[in-house]
Amino acid sequence: MVEVRLVGLGKRYGPVTAVDKVDLTVADGEYVTILGPSGCGKTTLIRMIAGIIEPSEGKVYIDGNDMTGVPVEDRDIGYVFQNIALFPHLTVQDNVSYGPRAKDLPPEDQSRISRRFLEMVKLLDKMGMLPDELCGGEQQKVSLARALSSGSKLLLLDEPLSALDSRVRVDLRYELRRLAKELGLTTIHVTHDQEEAQSVSDRIVLMRAGTVVETGTPEELYTRPKKIFTANFIGETNLLEGWVLEIKDGISVIELRNGGRVKVNQTDHPVGDAVVISVRPEFVFPADEGMRAKVTAITYMGTYWRITANTEDEEEVDFDSATLDENLLTIEKEVYLAVNPKAAVLYPRPEDGVQEAIKLE
Amino acid sequence: MDSLITVISRKRFRTGWTAFIILFFLFFVILPTVYILSYALTDWGSIEKFVLNDPAMLDLIIDSIIASFEIAGIVTVIDILVGLPMAWMMVRKEFRGKALLDTLIDMPLAVPTAALGFSSAIFFAVTPESLAAPSFALNAVSSPFLLIVLLHVVFSYPYMVRSLSAILVQIDQTYETAGRTLGASALSAARTITLPLFRAGLVTGIILCFARSLSETGGTMIALATMANPGSFATGPTLIGDWKDNLEINPDLAAPLAFVSILLILLSLVLLVVIKLVIMKVHLPMGRIWPRPERLFSRGWFPKTKDGLAVFFLVVFVLIPSFFIFTYVVSVEPSSFDWGPFAESLMFSFLVAGVVTVIDIALGVPLALYIAKNRTGKLPEVLDVLVNVPLIVPTAALGYSLGVFWTGQNLIPTYDVLLIILAHVAFTYPLVVRNVAGAVEEVDPAYEETARTLGAKPVQAFRRVLYPMIKSSILAGAIMAFTRSLGETGATQAVVASAQTAPVYIVKLIKQTVPDYYTAGLACIVLIMVSFAFMLALRYITNRRSR
Repeated sequence: MVEVRLVGLGKRYGPVTAVDKVDLTVADGEYVTILGPSGCGKTTLIRMIAGIIEPSEGKVYIDGNDMTGVPVEDRDIGYVFQNIALFPHLTVQDNVSYGPRAKDLPPEDQSRISRRFLEMVKLLDKMGMLPDELCGGEQQKVSLARALSSGSKLLLLDEPLSALDSRVRVDLRYELRRLAKELGLTTIHVTHDQEEAQSVSDRIVLMRAGTVVETGTPEELYTRPKKIFTANFIGETNLLEGWVLEIKDGISVIELRNGGRVKVNQTDHPVGDAVVISVRPEFVFPADEGMRAKVTAITYMGTYWRITANTEDEEEVDFDSATLDENLLTIEKEVYLAVNPKAAVLYPRPEDGVQEAIKLE
Repeated sequence: MDSLITVISRKRFRTGWTAFIILFFLFFVILPTVYILSYALTDWGSIEKFVLNDPAMLDLIIDSIIASFEIAGIVTVIDILVGLPMAWMMVRKEFRGKALLDTLIDMPLAVPTAALGFSSAIFFAVTPESLAAPSFALNAVSSPFLLIVLLHVVFSYPYMVRSLSAILVQIDQTYETAGRTLGASALSAARTITLPLFRAGLVTGIILCFARSLSETGGTMIALATMANPGSFATGPTLIGDWKDNLEINPDLAAPLAFVSILLILLSLVLLVVIKLVIMKVHLPMGRIWPRPERLFSRGWFPKTKDGLAVFFLVVFVLIPSFFIFTYVVSVEPSSFDWGPFAESLMFSFLVAGVVTVIDIALGVPLALYIAKNRTGKLPEVLDVLVNVPLIVPTAALGYSLGVFWTGQNLIPTYDVLLIILAHVAFTYPLVVRNVAGAVEEVDPAYEETARTLGAKPVQAFRRVLYPMIKSSILAGAIMAFTRSLGETGATQAVVASAQTAPVYIVKLIKQTVPDYYTAGLACIVLIMVSFAFMLALRYITNRRSR
């Protein structure tokens, strides 16, 4: 049982607050990603869990034990670094057997354990090489094997994939999840890549400016985000400003700035309230009526087209189209755009404006 | 202006210029430095007659050379032992007063070794009554060997701490953290991960300290002359200094002089190559990790005691000896003295150092550029190795060799000033080349290439793009060369016995039959102040660069 519990955990550097009183519990065997833009404090957070950084306030509990004053080496963790940090003077096998050796296990155990984990990442044949002789993906696999070889049930991953090429990155992230689940590890994975977070985690913790914005499963955060920031940061979305005109038959009609109207299946905002609609590009489509808009850009995205249009209500709306009917969609062409009412989400309009609400810092 | 740029941009001109620079380096720096080696071939007879067949002479030479190497070895080991904890503390820890400590470590570098020798000897050594050392001086060391070891530690310690911290800064601390996440204690991680990555810095530090100790002349002479009973103790360089003084009266000393110089040059080169090979090639087994004891030593009283001792050593064995001269001058009975000769020698020293620095820059920067930009070639590689030779060869041997080289030819008139300047150029030139070449290698060639694609000629690309980026390194090299020239005794004495530079003047004040300690002390203080001003400038410039 390795459960990680953070209670009011914070870190200040002089007047700057890097992490502001975070409370979080990661259950045994759970794979949690901490997601956020750079500078949001996610790396500081994971380093405090590992004991690399001393918190200014609050406590870290690992397995129910208060970790205050416990140095890194006694926390029994596996840690994978963003810059890989394989010991350059040691062979692949010596790197992986470093954990067992630090515990002064007998040489045969050191060798057995390192072989076991190298086999697990399928690099047994590279055992005798120096880190420099491997490519980036292989290096990070070795460093994963090294972290696992300490035998810990808690795996901390600090942006493990961001130094790698995009192809390798995608392959390796499935590998990470597979190994974590196979070995029954509790995993905390820090990343700034929302796609990565969505594809590996049981649960995402979204951070911004030192605080937790929202937590939830990848699906929850994508389809029903509770905050505008989440809607904008995870995936892509259109944010349209308006107010509730009427509510009828379980549908709210939202009037936009210059009179355009959008229907949404959500009725918890009373008539007259200022709101923001968030709708993903895949849920906007050309129709016979709706928002009048003029196409300004068409971009081929590989498997679909991304079309950008300016609406009468001075909003820029992106939408996707699997095919491109050139009679219907060309630059400067006027179209009517409709929104799937089930897929749109309403938020109260923020006092400081939408831009402030989605700012990364 | 434009036509000038066109002319110097021609390929033929540039090839000629490069050839000139390389020839200058080979014929004015390298060849004179090792010229004396040829004496073994041409005058073997006189070496046999005056050295090998004279057991007393041979014993004296062998003893002094052995003493030199023993001292250098012991000093280097002490420097590593006390320098490593200090470097570690300076790089890896944050504490109050760190900036102050950083400045304090560098302070002995500002003091010319002649002044250091006097100052340390007054502090450590048992001194004669006539010196009237302050009552709170240690007044304890009566062995000349021990005194010289202590003195050499004083001036080489900053070099070791600097080289070690320079490399420690570059070793990513994540490696150590990674080791600790795997369960290794701080000490185990440092021992098995950081230290093996440390070799390059260790080699630089060892070679610097070893070579500086082997080469030191002025301070050693003064320290020996200051202590009560030095007996017949001598090191290789002091032997050269003393004999060169008497060469005119006793021409038979030419062979022994050549012999000592040859031994010093050969042994220092061989030994340093060996050191380098041994440290870089020998693969130390990383060994076991003992979790319990190493954990114990990673926490609590041990690290604190270690840091405390490092600071204690710095203060008692480096700083106090360096600046003890101030208390001496204040406490001793003032006597009348004549500023005239010292002022004159100081002017002369400045003149020499100034000219030397100008030559170093004018002819050293082009060589540095050539070496740094043509890394792949054979010739630049050879030059890069050769550049280190004058840094490693003891300066007294270098000076004697250079003197023999230039006085043995008739093409160029050999004025004393000219000889001294040439000698100082020989051992300061590499400082500029190394500094600048290092800086040039750091600069991405893409900058200059960009300038070239925009239509700049190579010389324009250098002046407008590269030069502004390496300017501070050139300045730093210049100031280093200047202070080294200003403080040099060994080479000056060995090339022209009657030379009157400031450090040589101070040595003579103390070595004369009735030593004038008070004037020597005052002169030391003036010399310290002047050098210190330059040191501050150097720090200011290098600090600005790192920003």
